[in-house]
Amino acid sequence: MPPETPQNGEYLVAAYVITAVILLAYWLRLWSRVKILIGGEKHERGRRT
Amino acid sequence: MIASSAETQALRVARRGIWISAVAFLGLAAVVVLALAFTPVEARQGLAQKIFYLHVPAAWAALLAFSLVGITSALYLWLKDPRLDRFAAASAEVGVVFSAVMLTTGPIWAKPIWGTWWTWDARLTLTLFVFFLFIGYLALRAAVHDTAERARFSAVVGILGMLLVPFVHLSVYLFRTLHPQPIVLKPSAPSLPAEMLTTLLVSTLVFTVLYVGLVTARYGLALADEAREEARDAA
Repeated sequence: MPPETPQNGEYLVAAYVITAVILLAYWLRLWSRVKILIGGEKHERGRRT
Repeated sequence: MIASSAETQALRVARRGIWISAVAFLGLAAVVVLALAFTPVEARQGLAQKIFYLHVPAAWAALLAFSLVGITSALYLWLKDPRLDRFAAASAEVGVVFSAVMLTTGPIWAKPIWGTWWTWDARLTLTLFVFFLFIGYLALRAAVHDTAERARFSAVVGILGMLLVPFVHLSVYLFRTLHPQPIVLKPSAPSLPAEMLTTLLVSTLVFTVLYVGLVTARYGLALADEAREEARDAA
């Protein structure tokens, strides 16, 4: 890196972390809903048999 | 509780979406490695320039999502197929998530480069406006309980939202703005070194796959909710 290049790596880290948090939080929300519904389905199937 | 074959089918769709997005997350991890270890540092902007490899693909995914909301909404008004309305709702929600990424990574890049987190320039203001419009779209969907009415009203809002998308893209040409000009989606060849362009294109592909996965999961969940309601009404 040339010496005159600005040192601003903390902004890079912040942006990457925030992106991961937003996307993973949404994915986990969907995943947990699917998991609950699948659990309900298994329970219902077990009750019927 | 879940039982019917329609509900099982819906859950299969949702699970497929969860898996596709899980694979996309692995791709995203690879993009981070590619951006940090194999892509050169821009001399004038420093490491903050690498925010671009997430910001631009997130913007692409958000605008793709909102465009598809508009297209499927228009088709819904014509064909009255509930699958189109369900897809529009899923795409709008996922588009809002990608917009949140775009609207947070943008200011984080702007602070070290422009010296300010935010400026009320045309591109930024219009993007924020589209974000709020689609939050309004989701609020409208939550507020109207009649299925046909909800689909019709939200289709109109979805089409209006889509009409703003070209203005967001062209705002850097139409108005005096601080925001950088497009460097890939422009009439001439992309003005970016090969390594940077490769990382950007890989990231764009990964964000597109993530969009597909999240929309599939959201669509499957909506389908499961509807099937459960129908089963409850029938009982």
